[in-house]
Amino acid sequence: MRAWSSLRSWWREVVRRSRAESEMDTELRFHVDAYADDLVRSGVPREEALRRARIEFGGIEQTKEDCRETRGVNHLETLIQDIRHGSRMLGKNPGFTAIAVLTLALGIGANTAIFSLINTVLLRPLPYQNADQLVTVWGYNRTQGFTTDLVSPLDFADWRSQNHVFEGMAGSTDVTYTLTGAGEPALIIAYSFSSDYFNVLGVAPLLGRTFLPEEEQPGKSHVAVLSYSFWQNRFGRNPGIVGQSIMLDGAPYTVVGVMPAGFKYPPLTELWTPLTPIPQAANNRDYRYLRVMARLKQGVTLRQAQTEMNAIAARLALAYPETNKDENATNLISLREMISGDIRPALLVLFCAVSFVLLIACANVANLLLSRAAGRQKEVAVRAALGASRGRLVRQFLTESMVLGLIGGAFGVVLASLCTRVMVSMFPPTIFNLSIPHIEQLPIDGWVLGFAVGISLITGVVFGLVPALQAGVNTNDTLKEAGRGQAGSARGSRFRSALVVAELALSLTLLTAAGLTLRSFVYLLRGDLGFHPEHVLTMRVLPPSSKYKTGAQQIAFSNGALAQIQSIPGVKAAGTVTFLPLSGWYGERTVALESPAISQNQRPMALWSSVTPDYFRAMGIPLLKGRFFGEGDNQYAPGVAIISNSLARQIEPGAELLGKRINVDGVKGAVEIVGVVGDVHQLGITSEMTSEIYLPFGQIPAPIMCFAVRTAEDPDRVAKAAERAIWNVDKDQAVAYVMSMSQLASESLATQRVTMLMLGAFGAMALLMAAIGLYGVIANSVVRRTHEIGVRMSLGARPGDVLRLVLGQGLGLVMAGVAIGLGGTFVLMRFVASLLYGIRPTDPVTLAGAAAVLAGVALLASYVPARRAMRVDPMVALRYE
Amino acid sequence: MDKQMELLQGTLDMLILKAVSLGPLHGYGILLRIQQISKDRLEIQQGSLYPALYRLEHQGWIASEWGESENKRKAKYYRLTAAGKRRLQAEAERWNRMADVIAGILGTTPEEI
Repeated sequence: MRAWSSLRSWWREVVRRSRAESEMDTELRFHVDAYADDLVRSGVPREEALRRARIEFGGIEQTKEDCRETRGVNHLETLIQDIRHGSRMLGKNPGFTAIAVLTLALGIGANTAIFSLINTVLLRPLPYQNADQLVTVWGYNRTQGFTTDLVSPLDFADWRSQNHVFEGMAGSTDVTYTLTGAGEPALIIAYSFSSDYFNVLGVAPLLGRTFLPEEEQPGKSHVAVLSYSFWQNRFGRNPGIVGQSIMLDGAPYTVVGVMPAGFKYPPLTELWTPLTPIPQAANNRDYRYLRVMARLKQGVTLRQAQTEMNAIAARLALAYPETNKDENATNLISLREMISGDIRPALLVLFCAVSFVLLIACANVANLLLSRAAGRQKEVAVRAALGASRGRLVRQFLTESMVLGLIGGAFGVVLASLCTRVMVSMFPPTIFNLSIPHIEQLPIDGWVLGFAVGISLITGVVFGLVPALQAGVNTNDTLKEAGRGQAGSARGSRFRSALVVAELALSLTLLTAAGLTLRSFVYLLRGDLGFHPEHVLTMRVLPPSSKYKTGAQQIAFSNGALAQIQSIPGVKAAGTVTFLPLSGWYGERTVALESPAISQNQRPMALWSSVTPDYFRAMGIPLLKGRFFGEGDNQYAPGVAIISNSLARQIEPGAELLGKRINVDGVKGAVEIVGVVGDVHQLGITSEMTSEIYLPFGQIPAPIMCFAVRTAEDPDRVAKAAERAIWNVDKDQAVAYVMSMSQLASESLATQRVTMLMLGAFGAMALLMAAIGLYGVIANSVVRRTHEIGVRMSLGARPGDVLRLVLGQGLGLVMAGVAIGLGGTFVLMRFVASLLYGIRPTDPVTLAGAAAVLAGVALLASYVPARRAMRVDPMVALRYE
Repeated sequence: MDKQMELLQGTLDMLILKAVSLGPLHGYGILLRIQQISKDRLEIQQGSLYPALYRLEHQGWIASEWGESENKRKAKYYRLTAAGKRRLQAEAERWNRMADVIAGILGTTPEEI
C-alpha cells in the first residue's frame, strides 16, 4: 500500500512537472509573440519582427533552464530528461546495448539467484512468532563426543523446573505411522509433541485446536494434528476433517486440528500426535530420546541460557553419577541454525564467488562504455561548451549507466527465477539428518527484488563512474582534436587494460575455486562408500507395532517379503537392514568385549543395524574375515554379531576378534563375533563414523525394514514388482522411498553438487566475460594502431611480426592477470577449504590447470584481432590518415 | 540604447513588485510597465524577467493565474500578494535609506570632514 501511494505521489509530481513545463512554454511564447506584435504595429515586417523579438528576448533555452532552477528542486526533471536521453542513446546502439544488458543480466541474475537461496535458508523469518528466541537444547557428552545428544524425560523435567532462562520448554520425538484406509497404505513421518510444543513455537492451528495436557495420558492420546500439505494432499482441504478419524497403525486417531501452510516443523513432518510417557523411561535417566525445543525469555541471550543450562547439567551429573557423569553439559543451537543445515559455509563461498562474477561483469561493461565514450567525446565536448557543467555531465552519464543496470537487472531477475527452479530441484526431499537443508521453494520475494534493484543501481554506478568521470575532462582538447582519436586516447586504453587484468585475475580465482570443488566432488563420487550402490533397489517398510506385536511376527513378515522379492526375475540378492546407509536414519549402541570388562562410559559407540543374511551380498559389502549370517542364526541359536573393520580396530587394535564374545547395549547376554566386514559410510561419504555392528534379524528383529535388492539390470525396472511383493504379504503395509541406491547416493551429495555446479557455472561465466573483455581491448588497440602497423609493414615487418606484436600485448595482460590472480587465489582458497574433500586448497595441479585454461582462452581471444592486424594493408592504413 | 542604464544588482525584484502592485500584469506587461514608468531609462534583459518572476512566486510575494490578454490570447497574470506588499514596503524603505546614505557620502565635500 505504501509503495502504491508513493508511486501515486511520484506520478502526480511527474504530471505537475510536465504541466509546469508546458505552461512555461506558453508564457514565454506569449511574451515573444506580444513583443513581435508591437514591433509589427510600429512598422517592422512580420518576419523581421519575430526575429528581433527572439534576439532581444535572449536565449530562450537558457531562460527556461534558469526558470526551472528557481522553480524549486529540479532533480526529478533532470533525472527524467537524463533517463530519456540515456534510453535514446542505448536505443541508437542496439549491439552495444544487447551485449551490455546480457552481461549485466548474467551477473545480476546469478547474484539474485544466490541471494534468494541465502534469503530462504538464512534470512527469511521463520514462520514462528519471534523465531529468534527459539533454540533447540541438546545434551553434550564430552567423553563420547556427542554434541547433540537426545534427552531423557527425567533430565528434561529437571531442566524445565530448574531453569530461569526459558519462557517455555517442550519435548518431542519422531515417530512413523502406517496410514491405511485412504488409498495405498502409506508411511507417515510424524512427530510426537508434548502438549505445550505448539505454544513454545507460538503457532496457532488453522482449524480446530492443538493438544490438551490430558491427551499426553495413554488412552486419551489417539488424537492427531495434521500438516497443511497432508490435509491438502489426502483430504482435499476438507474443512470437515476435524473430528473425523484416520487409521494410523491400524488404530483410529481423531483429527483435532490442522496447522497453517507455513508450519512444518520438523521438516517433512506430515502430522503430529501427543507425546506419551514411555514406561522404560520412568526411572531411567539413561533412556534418552527426547528432542527439546525452548523459547528464550525476553532479553536472555543464547550464551546466558547456555551457561545456566550447563550449570543445571553439571548439578545433575553430580547428583546422578551412574547415568549422568558424562552428560555434564548442554548444547544450545538456534532453530535457524538447525534448519539451515551445513550449507552455510557453502552459501558464503557462493556469495563471494557470485560477487566476483558481478565485478567482472561491471569491468566488462565499463570497458564497453569506455570504448564507446571515445566515440562520444565530441558529443560531450559540445555539450560542455554549450554550458553543461561537469557535475551535470557526470550525472547524465551515471543516469545512463543506471538505466542500463536496471534493464540488465530486470532480465537478471527473470534469469534468477529460472535458476531458482533448477536449484530447488537439486535439494532432495527424501533425505534427512544428513544436514541438507529442506528447500521446497525459493521465492523471489520483496527482499530478493529489493536486492536485485539495489545491486542493479550499485552496479550502474560502479561501471558507470569511470566513463562518467572521464567524460568530464579535457573537453577543449577533444574539440580541437575533433575527428581524430576515434579509438580512444592512450590514457583511456591503459585504464581499460588495467580493467582487463583485474577481470583475468578474478577469473583465475573463480576458475580455481570451481576446479577445486569439481575435483573434490569427483573424489566424493568416486569415493568408496563401502558398498556398491549400482543396481541396488531400496525401499523402506515399517510394519506397525500394533499389528506386528512380536519379533516372530516381524521375522515372518520379513521372510515372506524377501521370498517374494527373490522370486522376481532379475533379482540377484535381497536383504533387509534396520537403518539404510545414506538414508539419514541411524541408531547407536555401545559395544565392548565381555572380558576384560570396561565401564559403560568408556565403551566405544557403534552404529548398529539388524540385517537378514543376504543383506551384505545385496549391498556388495565385502567380507574380510569369518562368515556372513546364515538362516541358522535364529532365536534358537547362540547370539552372533558381525562388526565392521573400524569397530574391530576400536575394540582392540590388532587382536583376533573372531570367536570373541561382546556385550551390545540393549542385547541380552554376550554375542559372539562371527565375521568382520568392510566399513560402510552409513552417514554419508563425508562422515568419518564407520564403526558399525550388525546383528542377525533372526535374533534381534526390528520394526524398521529397509529392503536392499541387487538386480541384474536397471533397479527401477523391478520397483513395481518389489512393491507388489510386499503387498502380497500384507496389503495394508506402506512402502516408502522406493528408489535406487545410486539415486540415494547422488542425493546425499546435494549440497556439494549445488556448490560444485554453481561455482562451475560462475567460473565459466567469468572466463567468457574476461575473454570478451580482453578481445575488446586488443581489438580496440589494433584499430588504434592501424597507422603504426601500416608504417611497420611498409618498413618491412612481416605478418608474423605483426601477429607476434599483437599477441604479445595480449600475453602481457594475461601474465599480469595470472600473476595477480595467483596471489589472490592463494589467500582466498583458504575460505573454500571447508568445502573440500580429498584435495588441498592450494593444490598445484588445479591452480596450474586453471591458469592454463585462462591463458589458453585469453590467447584465443587476442588471436582474433591479431589476425585482423596481420591483414592490414599498409597503403590503406597510411591513406586512412 | 546608450541612454539606458543597466539595472543595479538585486533591483529587478523590487521593480517587478512595484509594477504588479499597480495591478495584475502578464510578464510582457511587466516589462512594458517598468519601461514606461522608468521612461525607458532602464535596460532590462527580457529573458531575465522570467526567472525573477518564478523566484518571486516561489517566495510567495506574487501569485499567478491564467487569464486572457488584450488581444484575446492566453496569458499568465501576476499580482502582488499581502506578503509581497509588505516586502515591497520594506524593500522600498531599505532602498531609500541606502540611497540617502550613498547620496550623502557622494555629496560630501572636503570641508565637511
